[in-house]
Amino acid sequence: MMAWMRRLASTRLTLLGMVLLAIGAGLSYGNPADVTVWVLAGPLLLLALNLLAAILTQPRINRRPGLLIFHIGLLSICVLAAIGRLTFYEARVEVSQNSAFDVTSVDEVSQGIFHMGELQQVQFVQRDYTVEYRPGLVRGITRSNVQVGDGHGGWQPKVVGDDTPLIIDGYRFYTTFNKGFAAMLTWIPEQGEAITGTLHMPSYPLFDYQQANSWTPPGSIEEIKFWLRLDTGLDRDADWLLDVHNTEAVLVVNNGEQRVELQPGQATDLLGGQLRYEALSSWMGYKIFYDPTLMWLFIAAMLTVLGLCLHYWDKFKHQSMASDVVVDKQKQDLKMTNKAIKA
Amino acid sequence: MTGAATELPWMWVGLFAYGVATLLAFRNVWQAGGDNAVVLLAGRQGERTILLAIVTGVLLLAWALAVRWDRLGHGPFINLFELLMSQLFSLGLIYSIVYWRVPNLRASAVVVLPLIWILGSWILFLEPADSQFPPTYHNNWLWAHVGFGKVFLSFSLVAAGLAGVILLRAIPRLGRSFAQMSDEALDQLAWRFMMLALVFDSLMLIAGAVWAQDAWGRYWSWDALETSAFMTWLAIGAGIHVRLSYNIPIRIGALVIIAVFFLAFTTYFGAPFYSEAAHKGVV
Repeated sequence: MMAWMRRLASTRLTLLGMVLLAIGAGLSYGNPADVTVWVLAGPLLLLALNLLAAILTQPRINRRPGLLIFHIGLLSICVLAAIGRLTFYEARVEVSQNSAFDVTSVDEVSQGIFHMGELQQVQFVQRDYTVEYRPGLVRGITRSNVQVGDGHGGWQPKVVGDDTPLIIDGYRFYTTFNKGFAAMLTWIPEQGEAITGTLHMPSYPLFDYQQANSWTPPGSIEEIKFWLRLDTGLDRDADWLLDVHNTEAVLVVNNGEQRVELQPGQATDLLGGQLRYEALSSWMGYKIFYDPTLMWLFIAAMLTVLGLCLHYWDKFKHQSMASDVVVDKQKQDLKMTNKAIKA
Repeated sequence: MTGAATELPWMWVGLFAYGVATLLAFRNVWQAGGDNAVVLLAGRQGERTILLAIVTGVLLLAWALAVRWDRLGHGPFINLFELLMSQLFSLGLIYSIVYWRVPNLRASAVVVLPLIWILGSWILFLEPADSQFPPTYHNNWLWAHVGFGKVFLSFSLVAAGLAGVILLRAIPRLGRSFAQMSDEALDQLAWRFMMLALVFDSLMLIAGAVWAQDAWGRYWSWDALETSAFMTWLAIGAGIHVRLSYNIPIRIGALVIIAVFFLAFTTYFGAPFYSEAAHKGVV
């Protein structure tokens, strides 16, 4: 068993693992869809086994505290990265202003096979947001206002955006460039109860001139087309703030031959019911990320570096960079030169 | 906040000072290789002049960076012009400290300064275009990431300089000028700097991963810089592993160090040629 472990701890195997990992890294550049995860997982597994065997069998490693911490740290990173890939969760979601996060709205989901799926317990309410733009429509700081449950039945206001995610139960919500306006509509059918909801328009200002969407009322087969004519004060050559409160919008409704322009609060009669344009609203697109190993990965990585530093300190603390031997030789050379000058 | 690139004259004078230091380093080596017996004393004087020229260049480049920073309202983190300018400053600064504190490696100036001057020549052909600061750059981890990266590249540069000296000794005239240190001592010093480079490379990757997690919602994404930086880290690790585990010839070790430095160099300055944005989500 030990002989087999020693073979597994071979430094040649380490080098082979490193070369394979470098090849795997090269193949993974840009996350191509047609490259299997095994180009990385294979070499990492090999290196993890090699590391484990080296830690257990090599006195050069397990009798030196610094090297031991360094190698355990590297092994921990391999293991944690693997756990992370098995339990991660990634998705995107659009949340309407003044609406609660709805887990059924998430899109583009990808997750590890052991992800436990507790996203449905996440609760927050999206409020308004602002985005600063500089001349040339260069995006600046995003401030998204949200309310998060404080655990005692109350709501805590928070401002998130850019590099400050909203973190709830380990799920991290990042604002994205994908955000825009929405029309809050109420549909009052001829029979039945009225329903109110928001119709999201395409991302703004990316699709400035395409603020259109369509909707088919429940029980109807006729699709209604909507166009939001916006006045946001957008000036591409000056600083500008994207803010729903500084924006006015007329909702243009197209229903077959019928074309109606509605101001907020106005309604129009359509086939099967009445449609009321309640108000201009907005939506924010979030990227959702979950990885329970993040903090542990950070700790393992820092321990790894600490182990390396400790090892170097032990190795070099008695060896000055200005080696005495060299300095002595320089002094000798100088003496000889001085003698030569005097002569 | 923007306007004419008033930092340019300061940068040019700073580069001129680096140029003077480079020429003096060449002169020192050439003279030391001759038959004149007083060259060692002259060499000492020459070293002080080289250090003075590098420090002058560093101060002028620092002022140029400050002027640009004040003009644009943000640090030199965005376009290639800014990256080169800040690297010219940081490489010069760290090398001047090492040059001052570790006299044994002063011979490496003849390799290090021309390498710095590759960046110096390059920046002269670049437009000093103004840049916009992305919102995800308002993050303290960016500072840590960039700072560790600069120390890493500087230590790699010093190691490459020493490795270059080992290889240059093969030329008879130059061999005499580098005679103060044995190959073994140079080799040991070069690998010690590579080991320090590995520490700072690791710290750079950790700080970068934390920043990327905050900024773009993922700590690793195999973009151009991340892929290249990871390969560099692996190369340094493999190089040190080979050096410690096998008795490789000193000149082969020197070639390994130079290859690793080349990889690190292309990570910093090659990525713009094969990737639209250095990091995903940078814009």
